Amino acid sequence: MVSCCSVEKLPEEKKDGLKVIALAGNPNVGKTTIFNALTGLRQHVGNWPGVTVEKKEGIMKYREKEFLVVDLPGTYSLTANSVDELIARNFILSGSADVVVDIVDASCLMRNLFLTMEIFEMGVKKVVIALNKIDIARKRGIRFDVKKMEKILGVLVIPTNAKEGEGLEELKKAIANMAEGNVTTNPVIPVYEEPIEREIEHISSLLRGTPLEEMYSIRWLAIKLLTRDQEVIKLVLNYLGSGKMDEILKHISELEVHYKRSLDIVIATQKYEFIDKLMHQFVIHFGEVKETFSDQIDRILTHPAYGILGLLGVFYVLFKFVFTIGSPMQEFLDNTFASLGEFVARFIGNEAVRGLIVEGVIGGVGSVLSFFPLVFLLFIAMSILEDSGYMARAAVVMERIMRKFGLPGKSFIPMVLAFGCNVPAIMATRTLEDERDRILTMLINPLVPCSARMVVITFLAGAFFSDHKALMAVSIYAISLFLALLSALILGKFVIKGEESPFVIELPEYSLPSWKVVVVHSWERSKEFLRKAGTVILLGSVAIWYLSTYPEPIGSGLSYAEKLGKVFEPFTMFMGLDWKAAVSLIFGIIAKENVIATYGIVYGIGESEEALISLMQSAMSDLQAFVLALVTTLYIPCIATIGAIRAEGGNKWALVASAYNLLLASVVGVLAYNIGLLLGL
Amino acid sequence: MGRLDEVLELIKEGVRTSKEIAERLNLTVEEVDGIIKILESLGYVEKVEMTSSCQSCPLKKICPGSCVVFKGNLHELKKSDKKGT
Repeated sequence: MVSCCSVEKLPEEKKDGLKVIALAGNPNVGKTTIFNALTGLRQHVGNWPGVTVEKKEGIMKYREKEFLVVDLPGTYSLTANSVDELIARNFILSGSADVVVDIVDASCLMRNLFLTMEIFEMGVKKVVIALNKIDIARKRGIRFDVKKMEKILGVLVIPTNAKEGEGLEELKKAIANMAEGNVTTNPVIPVYEEPIEREIEHISSLLRGTPLEEMYSIRWLAIKLLTRDQEVIKLVLNYLGSGKMDEILKHISELEVHYKRSLDIVIATQKYEFIDKLMHQFVIHFGEVKETFSDQIDRILTHPAYGILGLLGVFYVLFKFVFTIGSPMQEFLDNTFASLGEFVARFIGNEAVRGLIVEGVIGGVGSVLSFFPLVFLLFIAMSILEDSGYMARAAVVMERIMRKFGLPGKSFIPMVLAFGCNVPAIMATRTLEDERDRILTMLINPLVPCSARMVVITFLAGAFFSDHKALMAVSIYAISLFLALLSALILGKFVIKGEESPFVIELPEYSLPSWKVVVVHSWERSKEFLRKAGTVILLGSVAIWYLSTYPEPIGSGLSYAEKLGKVFEPFTMFMGLDWKAAVSLIFGIIAKENVIATYGIVYGIGESEEALISLMQSAMSDLQAFVLALVTTLYIPCIATIGAIRAEGGNKWALVASAYNLLLASVVGVLAYNIGLLLGL
Repeated sequence: MGRLDEVLELIKEGVRTSKEIAERLNLTVEEVDGIIKILESLGYVEKVEMTSSCQSCPLKKICPGSCVVFKGNLHELKKSDKKGT
């Protein structure tokens, strides 16, 4: 581990007599681009001593002279809160660098100059500022008086657009001149309010005359002591002794009382305001703050009321897109599997083997696999929503609703994740510190329909609601989410809410999705569906086929599946569901897609999906299909999700979640069916 | 009270997006995002890794990425050292 203030200089043999140039700056300011431009292919990549943080070095040539360029980790400040910051801070403190090139983003200069001021406060004189991304700043209407900026900051400032190579020759020249000692600088130092300055002077007076004065900027040490930097406190304690250190700490406490908060935020705030004042002297035009396209759309999509309608509307369009494009492809695949079954059946003489292959494997897995186009299109649609930036807005809308229902705001993370898969969603409840919040979120999370349950919803919507498929699918999603929120409200009465940790979301600008990213991402996700079809669903299909065929074929009343289904039928009949639905739901606990695979076997042995749908339509009303979709979405979570709840919350909560979901599905199923009957549906 | 303090206060109050904070304080969203980064480096807020559960998911080996994710960063007020309280 790198310790603060361990002033380890770059070994002389490594420097090889070369002047050392350190590149510092915030992350994503174009530091790597500048490093590559300065060094070309003359690079070496290793690790910083004792840590696994990448260290890049390279040789810069300028007019026959060579310089060793060291790329420091990107940081926003030089506090001691991260390894990256410590590495950058220690390297600069060590004095190994003959020149520090501070790369700043001209398009958001305020936060970049915060780091610059910290470098200046460390007493570093030889600093060149690369005012990078100047092109973006120009586009935004930001204009600088560079000469004035140099004068005010007291160092050289070179405007650059590293991507286009603009200003890089000037930067090289400035670096070389400064390294050779041909440039005089006088970096500006932030000035704080009088009480802080008085204490800086007091501490400085105590430090003067100690060996520390030779190694560090006394002012920097004083400021770091005020911010209670533990490493600096330890360092100074060695030289001042506990008596003087206690006196310093007492003064710090008095100042904290005066400002009513920690001095690190006080000093940071004053430094920030100091930078603002400086900027007003050399920034000619700050650019106009216009309402962007994203802002205009967000007025609707993140609005407390319209946002909810927007969310439902987006999901309606999503399903419409999936069904409109996917249904013909699904039918084609379905017919292909039916033909395949017929074709294979001709070559298998043994009845049992033929049944297993044609009805169990091709019938069961095929009925699920025929949904691949719909699944792929759904993932395409979801990827578009993610890549366009909409999902972050959906998260904001969901978070606002969830808070109203007593859920901790941050539980929107597992809730959003659950649309893909409930297992990582359950694991994401770890982001909630409060145990009770975690349990509450874990209990309601399985009520969010995952992609597996989407397949079942899609199947039943397609089979029974040909004119209103998308509306049916969205209504199942809406009911499930509403029940999740209602459950949170009810369970929250029993599970006491803990203290919430406030957070803030940075919304990205809307952008056109990258088609490459969308297709690759969707394919990667869809592969899981195919893999599942080849493993869990295949095994499930074989098991269902066996139970449906032995000891006597289905329909005889003697097959194991019928017997199993009949056990539960007296219970499911209150929801209008027969033994076939009951046995499907039982196998659906292994993997939700098995609900369809089971129907594919128990209803349509040897039949195409067209025939299966026809058989189902003759045996089931639209209302019953709707109830089945609802119950499938709400009842006991799949085995993997139960396992995740058990791993995260223990046996007790896995049992509670299963029991609660079963109870909720039963109540909702019975109510939905009977209300539907009353309404004449 | 400076801008860093004001942003921190609004986060504590429960303002959830940097856009809302920017509107309240009459700042640009970029500036608010920048202030949040500074607050993060000072240890007042910390970034929440939203996809970390995908990385440690027991189904990771068989799942190439079912997790629904979204662009954008989320920072929460740090509790451990009581700085943010």
